[in-house]
Amino acid sequence: MGKYDFSWRIIEEHLPELMKGLIITLQISVAGMAFALLFGLFFATLRFSQYRVLNVISNSIVQVGRSLPLFVLLFWIYYGLSLKFKINFSDFQAGAIALGITGGAYMAEVFRGGIKAIDQGQSDAAFAIGLNRMQTSRLIVLPQAIRIILPQTVNIYVGLLKGATIVSVIGVSDMIYVAQYVSLETFRPFELYSFAGVVFIALTLSVASFAWLLERQLSGKSRRG
Amino acid sequence: MNQNSSDYLLEIKSVSKSFGELHVLKDVNLNIAKGEVVCIIGPSGSGKSTLLRCINFISPPDSGEIVFDKVSWRSYRSKFNVLANFRYEKKLPALRAEIGMVFQHFNVFPHMTTLENVSLGLQKVRKMKKDKAKEVAAQSLEQVGLSDKLQVYPDQLSGGQKQRVAIARALALNPKVMLFDEVTSALDPELVSGILDEIRRLVREGMTMIIVTHEMKFAFQVAHRIVFMDQGKIVQVGTPEEIRNTQEPRAKAFLSSILE
Repeated sequence: MGKYDFSWRIIEEHLPELMKGLIITLQISVAGMAFALLFGLFFATLRFSQYRVLNVISNSIVQVGRSLPLFVLLFWIYYGLSLKFKINFSDFQAGAIALGITGGAYMAEVFRGGIKAIDQGQSDAAFAIGLNRMQTSRLIVLPQAIRIILPQTVNIYVGLLKGATIVSVIGVSDMIYVAQYVSLETFRPFELYSFAGVVFIALTLSVASFAWLLERQLSGKSRRG
Repeated sequence: MNQNSSDYLLEIKSVSKSFGELHVLKDVNLNIAKGEVVCIIGPSGSGKSTLLRCINFISPPDSGEIVFDKVSWRSYRSKFNVLANFRYEKKLPALRAEIGMVFQHFNVFPHMTTLENVSLGLQKVRKMKKDKAKEVAAQSLEQVGLSDKLQVYPDQLSGGQKQRVAIARALALNPKVMLFDEVTSALDPELVSGILDEIRRLVREGMTMIIVTHEMKFAFQVAHRIVFMDQGKIVQVGTPEEIRNTQEPRAKAFLSSILE
């Protein structure tokens, strides 16, 4: 094996492109998370429905959503829908939707667990003062469930953040995509991908500490007068 | 009692309910007049709490009818007509808003201050403006002796104080009847009498009340009528005097076991 000369200058030279890629990565993961929260809440709500059919449908979708590799999902949404049904999403949209479905399947379970953890007496009391179902969920159950589900939600977001690197296969110019094409020109994949790795560590740590602060804020609210 | 049904504020007509194989309520009938205080006693598992929960449909009866303030309410659930179910569900809050309920485990909302706990229903159900709702809520809390705890979250309160918040939360809505479901059972012994005093205050004010309780002395003191339930049925209804001297074997056995 020959001696490898590290050339970290390459990062400096291509920093603007890499940063642009990073912004795309952040955008697509946030968009994906937004979808995931919507899907998750929707399917979790169906799981609590009094109609058996809805429970079963929602449960099946969640199971399938969790089992499908993101990679396959991306191909189905980006190429499959376009070929078969002439539904054309941009690469960014397809990526965000795929992330949303995968994340949503996990979020559905997280929401379900969080909601189940809230004592039945809370909704009894809410109903007893005349709140309807919607008000009870929105004002009583969800605000309490959020504290429980926050840590798991952060985990899922971190998962999506990393999952977001796969969207480069359908041509979304995220940070990995940029690292890839710059390394094709410069033959410096090691430096470029390592940089991406370090950026992801930094991202994950900042997300985690943000969540920690948020959690403290939320739990502090009920403890302090 | 007068046979004219319109004299009653609340009529429970042949209400039955089961949880799976377990028949919790079997054809229960009971009428309650305005201003009447009825205490329900009986062994655990006799269906007392379930009966209360059927009255405001928090646990809807399987069959039977609740007539409240001359309006009839029945459980409704179509297997196929989802829209009809929604329409039915939309009506229930109107009934519940007129019926105050206090629970064994307080069920105060832990993410809200005392004041928010009480003003929530005023804003969302009685549609009061926020300021007005807070004002009414503060008055309601003052009546239960908590005017110095308005901005406090429930985890800073004792069990007795939490239960006072729950009572204020129900009373603030100005209900026509109050349901008390073993409201002292989860309290430390020294806090029980304070909560019973709150209920006595309501008795003096003429509030219509249905009280499920294990505090026999209290029940015989405040009740106009006492209902003895066993195994999902009302076994006997009578004045405290009549129940005290009951010859009905199950009621007699229950009372002697508890008064010993």
